[in-house]
Amino acid sequence: MKRMLIAVLVLAGGAAIAQAPPPPPKPTTLASRPGVTGGEALYVEHCIHCHGPNGMGTGLLARRIQPALLEARDNLPAQYVIVAARQGIGNMPPIPRGEVSDAELRAIAEYLAAGPHEAAQ
Amino acid sequence: MADDSLPPGFDAAKLTQAQRAFESALGADKVFFEPLDRTGYKDKFAIQDAAHLPAGAIGPTTVEEVQAALRIANQYRLPVWPISRGKNLGYGGSAPLLSGSVVMDLSGMKKIEFDEEFGTVLLEPGVGFYDLYDFIQANNLPYWLSTPGNSWGSVIGNALDRGVGYTPYGENTKSLCGLEVVLPTGEVVRTGMGAFTNAPTWGAYPFGFGPGWDQMFVQSNFGVVTKANMWLMPEPESLMGMDVEFDRPEDLKAMVDTIGPLRRERVLQQSPSIGNWLRAAAVATTRGEWTDKPGALDDSVIDAIRRRFNLGWWGVSLRIYGREEVNKAAYAVLEKAMSAIGPLSIRPTSWVKGQPMEYSGWTGTPITFPMQNVNWYGGRGGHIGFSPILPQSGSAALAQFQRTYARYKEYGMDYQGSFAFGERHLTNVNAMLFNKDDPAMMARIDPFFRQLVADAKEQGYGEYRTHLDYMDLVAESYDWGGGALGKLNQRVKDALDPNGILAPGKSGIWPKGARP
Repeated sequence: MKRMLIAVLVLAGGAAIAQAPPPPPKPTTLASRPGVTGGEALYVEHCIHCHGPNGMGTGLLARRIQPALLEARDNLPAQYVIVAARQGIGNMPPIPRGEVSDAELRAIAEYLAAGPHEAAQ
Repeated sequence: MADDSLPPGFDAAKLTQAQRAFESALGADKVFFEPLDRTGYKDKFAIQDAAHLPAGAIGPTTVEEVQAALRIANQYRLPVWPISRGKNLGYGGSAPLLSGSVVMDLSGMKKIEFDEEFGTVLLEPGVGFYDLYDFIQANNLPYWLSTPGNSWGSVIGNALDRGVGYTPYGENTKSLCGLEVVLPTGEVVRTGMGAFTNAPTWGAYPFGFGPGWDQMFVQSNFGVVTKANMWLMPEPESLMGMDVEFDRPEDLKAMVDTIGPLRRERVLQQSPSIGNWLRAAAVATTRGEWTDKPGALDDSVIDAIRRRFNLGWWGVSLRIYGREEVNKAAYAVLEKAMSAIGPLSIRPTSWVKGQPMEYSGWTGTPITFPMQNVNWYGGRGGHIGFSPILPQSGSAALAQFQRTYARYKEYGMDYQGSFAFGERHLTNVNAMLFNKDDPAMMARIDPFFRQLVADAKEQGYGEYRTHLDYMDLVAESYDWGGGALGKLNQRVKDALDPNGILAPGKSGIWPKGARP
């Protein structure tokens, strides 16, 4: 477990009293997007824990590209998403077919290819 | 030369026969033997990319299909490597130890049966922390999870590998309460009260009658766990605590000797983890922002990084859970004790039910951002961990740190270390961050790891968990009585798995005739 980075606010009596950074957001899951279907539902189920706000994938992509949230992108061809997911890319492990089927991955890729999506705002 | 992705003793035709048998039993949509499947189940963080190659994978989704698959494996003498979700990154991920094994991917087994009154949940292995969190949110249940720093993986898979979280239920393997297991020969057993037909207490009482077997199926290759009961922590009325930073490496001794008694006394009920500056910094920055010098970072760079992020050399987060009145009294004890040992900073936190919540591991919130540390060196990053068990003693922890830090410098690696409290022990997790695109660095990892194992062995410290590459090495270090425990494991293995098909080599346990 990583410590949250802290900003020192007041030095008083030896130990400093420190102030927290903005708190991390609540994780996005299907419960927070009720009623979603198709590729969006599959994206939330399988991808958003890393590619949502505060996710590992978002944090690493933000060092190289904006917007870092995949749902906010307007330049993700479906075939690119499929190849990246199946083969892994950068620090992202491959997503095997036993975890996400070809049909499910196709639906996720087509959802991202149709972005940007309002849900990312 | 033999094809490394074929099972031992197999040619391509025999493997195809086994594949057809799996397709007949499970359906072709649950059998994965394309080249892309073989690469898809490899270890993303492998030190040796040519090791641990799967022959293919199968994805049974019911206990009956697991049974059928194991019967086929016995028929063909085909090694099968079960994974729950395969996100055990740093320990091998989804890859098998023995190249040519078929991965049994249980990520499609996702049933959840929740007892809302008692906070027990019966889970299948494909249920991830995010899945269970979503279930709790969707049903507005007053329970918290105990999540690890990478919560992408399986809830029971984590418990079955003795992973940890950061709440009072942090030692996840202790929250197991009765299993359903398919033995290597295909029979199904239920442990604890699950052995008693129609007992309503399977998830309530872990021991049943007679010998208790749950831990036999933890970190072992004696069966495939298809269901497990776990206990969840009732949402507390209040959460209080502090994030504390200390300035000097030597402060580790006082930290351990102050926190340890509070943990043993259970003033602190959760399991704090003391981490060094890099554990925090590697999530937020990369080495290349600070220096291009090879070798371990020197103190001037470390000081600059610490200043940027206001980090101590060590930091620890302490949390108290329960009734608000009790927490306030316990917090005063905690504050007095920690203030007395000269911290650099203290950041108090306080939450009462109904207020906005801290979404972190201390509230059992699933997270993935800590894995950003694999980008520390740039390139295709990864890590493995060396994690010996230590006495809960400040002097022992400081000596272990000083030995290990000197080795990191000797091998030119940046030190990321932590000391996590159990109730009576410390788990000293030493993460080796690396860049797979740096061949010189990758060549140092294996000798470095073996050196740390040898150093710890001299002190009587053994690892609690390890990567596929080192399971034999670590198993051999548990050598009391001429390796009596290893011999017992082998006898059990041969009795339960006469054809040696289930996860050969897991935790250093090999079937008869295959022992290295």
